[in-house]
Amino acid sequence: MMKKILIAILISVSVINAKAQYNNMWIPDTLSGTTFNLNIKDTFRQIVSTGQQTITGGINGNFWGPTLFINKGDVVHMNVKNNLNDTTTIHWHGMHLPAVMDGGPHQTIPPGTTWQPYWTVNNNAATYWYHPHLHEMTMDQITKGVGGLIIVRDAVESALPLPRKYGVDDIPLVLTDRDFSSANQFQVVPYGDSMLTNGTLRAQYSVPAQVIRFRILNGAIERSYNIGFSDGRSFSVITSDGGLLNAPVAVTKYLLHAGERVEILVNCTGQNGTSVDLKAYNSLLAGFVAGGENFPNGPFANFLGKKDFNLLHLNIGVQTANPISIFPTSLTTNVLLNSANASITRKLTISDSSASLIPGVAILGPNAFVINHRLFELNYNDYNVPLNNTEIWEITSTSVFGHPFHIHDVEFNILDVNGVAPVPAQAGWKDVVFVPGKVGPNGTPQVVRFIAKFDDFADSLHPFMFHCHIALHEDEGMMGQFIVTDKTTGIKNIEKNNPLFSIYPNPTSAKIFVKMDDKNASAYYVKILNALGRTILMLPRPDLAQGIDISHFPKGIYHLILTDEKYKQTASKTFVVVE
Amino acid sequence: MKSKLLIFFTILFISLTLFSFKSSVYKMVLDFSLKNVNGQIISTNSYKNAKGFIIVFTCNHCPFAKLYSKRLNDLNAKYSKLNVPLLAINSMDSIVYEEETFELMKQKVKKENFNFPYLQDGMQSVGKLFGAEHTPTAYVIWKEKNHWTVKYVGSIDDNGEHPEKATPFVANAVDELLQNKNVTQSQTESFGCRIFYRKK
Repeated sequence: MMKKILIAILISVSVINAKAQYNNMWIPDTLSGTTFNLNIKDTFRQIVSTGQQTITGGINGNFWGPTLFINKGDVVHMNVKNNLNDTTTIHWHGMHLPAVMDGGPHQTIPPGTTWQPYWTVNNNAATYWYHPHLHEMTMDQITKGVGGLIIVRDAVESALPLPRKYGVDDIPLVLTDRDFSSANQFQVVPYGDSMLTNGTLRAQYSVPAQVIRFRILNGAIERSYNIGFSDGRSFSVITSDGGLLNAPVAVTKYLLHAGERVEILVNCTGQNGTSVDLKAYNSLLAGFVAGGENFPNGPFANFLGKKDFNLLHLNIGVQTANPISIFPTSLTTNVLLNSANASITRKLTISDSSASLIPGVAILGPNAFVINHRLFELNYNDYNVPLNNTEIWEITSTSVFGHPFHIHDVEFNILDVNGVAPVPAQAGWKDVVFVPGKVGPNGTPQVVRFIAKFDDFADSLHPFMFHCHIALHEDEGMMGQFIVTDKTTGIKNIEKNNPLFSIYPNPTSAKIFVKMDDKNASAYYVKILNALGRTILMLPRPDLAQGIDISHFPKGIYHLILTDEKYKQTASKTFVVVE
Repeated sequence: MKSKLLIFFTILFISLTLFSFKSSVYKMVLDFSLKNVNGQIISTNSYKNAKGFIIVFTCNHCPFAKLYSKRLNDLNAKYSKLNVPLLAINSMDSIVYEEETFELMKQKVKKENFNFPYLQDGMQSVGKLFGAEHTPTAYVIWKEKNHWTVKYVGSIDDNGEHPEKATPFVANAVDELLQNKNVTQSQTESFGCRIFYRKK
């Protein structure tokens, strides 16, 4: 009897303690408009509740970055200042934009430099994100916490009766996991022992008793999350990565892989005063899904492997004014790409280097996952994709592990996975597709096909990337690249003169204007270096008519290096900044 | 069988620990000279009475290193009198990082009222000599015959934002050394802003 009482006391104390241990979830700040100032920096934050602060990377704040609200049709300008003490890049994940603005491994931003890409937003309303993409350093910089969400609004989504009060009934959730050292510092490892939801350990959040929209990003280095609620309730998926689905799709679990986003609706109407947990049901994952393995030791061993664990404890409170209380029955009408219009089927392979010996292909070493039997090289272009091509990409994987495959530039439609059409929740616009691993060494190769149209942005110099979105795999070389070409790019065998241009006024104190001698010529890239040779400003395809703002430059001598659009040749001029 | 395995792993663990300690702590360091912000050359061998030094690798821009300005002043105020002065060294690459120039180091000393030398390691040679990886990282070196031995390496303390809650690792190490004791905690984790070394 005594023993039973003691156990009961122990259990109740544990429950009380467990409840007391929740931390209120942080919600990223927001920025909206058409000009965004993003200051990437080394910083620190109290993530573990006691003891030392954790060294982090933050954009404007001290972990992660602001959520950017942008409108379809707007031209958005980004002023990205790299104040990290390492080179970085910022990739606009899911955005359809010129390759030179894309922020992949080729668009590096040295420390102390401001990079100013801009583009016309033509993505559909959905949740996107931005993150570092420096080759071999992506895992390191994402681990620090550098990144942020992008929320695109458009007329279709705005007309729907959906929750739209950020942080109230429209809640961003960035899922990741981390390992902490004994001094509370992040360890750069593929799997963490601790779940971090919006940078918060053991997160809890209060939501009103109405329909809640969660915008969920899998921002993990490697792990997939099999999302569901502790009471088994149904929820509705309303977006795939790149836009609304035709109609909400009711599910009780949704498996989200690294890099993917999903928006869901969950109805909490009439539940004031109750609580429910959003969980990852990862005990249900197959062994080839990241997080479904259960390594007893070694670099991949972790406390969350093959287990169910909490993502967010939800306390349901008082309803707000004008709540959304039902789900819409339809959302949009997606016109998906027709495979009859594809002009090519590109066949790609995913393999384990040690297990994929083909004649003439060397072993790349054990444990390297590769695309097309080779490791990524910055100077090797896998494909030339003609501008406006509609293409089917067929990925055949003999890997024993599953890989979330991401392609830049486009949103695509999944055609089939092993011949089976995608489930309704995936039958929209996507930019990441999970390529399953084969089961056992003699298992059947897995085949995934998607279709995409490569329109708008040709560039003979800067490529787009395709890669596994598990940052460890990507850093290890599981990546390739393609150039989108049109008839006027890639001109060969003609004389390429250096661009002729003048700059004025010189000296200057506010703006510097560039005038091309050839009226039809335009600038592909302008870089401004100071007298020491340090790059201060990087301007992909600047609008020369506006002039270049140098009003914040200290007085001194500067060098302007211009690359022209047509021939990609460069020339430089020197100018002086006076006070 | 089980106990044999246990013994094997215990021995393995101990040897690994000893090996890793040997490679960092108990390292010998020779005298070095660097330029202070006032233009003066500071050499370890010019401090004739020094029993040891507190060497702190720090820099201008690192937000976490910035938390420690007052604590460095306090450490130097207390221990320079006891012949253990503090030297702060900036080994950041001033060519790459615009905030790490000699001019901005001077301004920092003035603004933060540093009571200790703030030395520029322009060639990054002293940073490499110590193997400093982050700012801030502290070393306590102690005089032994004609060289200096590293007696402590790691964090200054264990709470950047809340000094009142912190265990003062560096101060504890110096106190023990001044009492001719062995340093109880001779190594802690170093973290902060990474120091990138230029390739030759």
